[in-house]
Amino acid sequence: MGKIKIKAKEKEEGIVSVIALLKHPMLTYDQAKKKGKEPNFIVYIEAKSNGDVVYEASTSQFLSKNPLIKFKYKGKKGEELELSWVDLKGNTESKKVKVKG
Amino acid sequence: MERRRFLGLTLGAAAISLAPVSVIAKNYRKELPDVWKIKNKEDENDLTGTNEAIKAIFGTDKTEEGKITLKAPDIAESGAQVPVSFKIDKANRIALFQTANPEALVAIWDIPERGIPDYALRIKMAKTGIVTVVAEVDGKLYRASKVVKVTAGGCGG
Repeated sequence: MGKIKIKAKEKEEGIVSVIALLKHPMLTYDQAKKKGKEPNFIVYIEAKSNGDVVYEASTSQFLSKNPLIKFKYKGKKGEELELSWVDLKGNTESKKVKVKG
Repeated sequence: MERRRFLGLTLGAAAISLAPVSVIAKNYRKELPDVWKIKNKEDENDLTGTNEAIKAIFGTDKTEEGKITLKAPDIAESGAQVPVSFKIDKANRIALFQTANPEALVAIWDIPERGIPDYALRIKMAKTGIVTVVAEVDGKLYRASKVVKVTAGGCGG
């Protein structure tokens, strides 16, 4: 299982709809304290297409566990979309997909 | 000849190294480290924390109603996965807040040139609270809020 699952599709002409599932425990400070673990959660998500940033979010511990995000941007089928994230500890993951039509 | 080539190369390299600057993304964790620490009051109907965070991000908490369509459930069975979505024709920056957790801020989005601010995500809510989304459009701030009743908190387990 990959750590990122992406569905990217040009649903309306010139508009790409994206659904992404990011596998991450998103452990809040409170949860971490209870579990005796260190808090860690995704702090930044970015998506790029042809070198342009098309989505960017600075995020907190309050996104759900294994965050599911949806967004849209101006793009076309066949283009590449690369989504990446960084967590509090500096771990990163990224994934590239081709936009479907 | 040699020198001209060198200059050409240097200029070319400078142009390349300059190009990404305009698309370099803004990580608000680094840019505004303190806004993430702004606490909510104990009372879930108290928007003090939300307003403080709005002011810290956008410079003012003077907002107008309208323009934003915010969707969130009236009642969430589990506070661990509360679906929230919002939509606006255009915006430069959007931020999401709630009054249910220890801190107010959930996320900040800069809307890139090719971005379409029709976004959704799932958030955690420790208890019932008010979800607020604020969008900056050409220097004006718009706000939409919704109460979400949480029957089982999402920050406990």
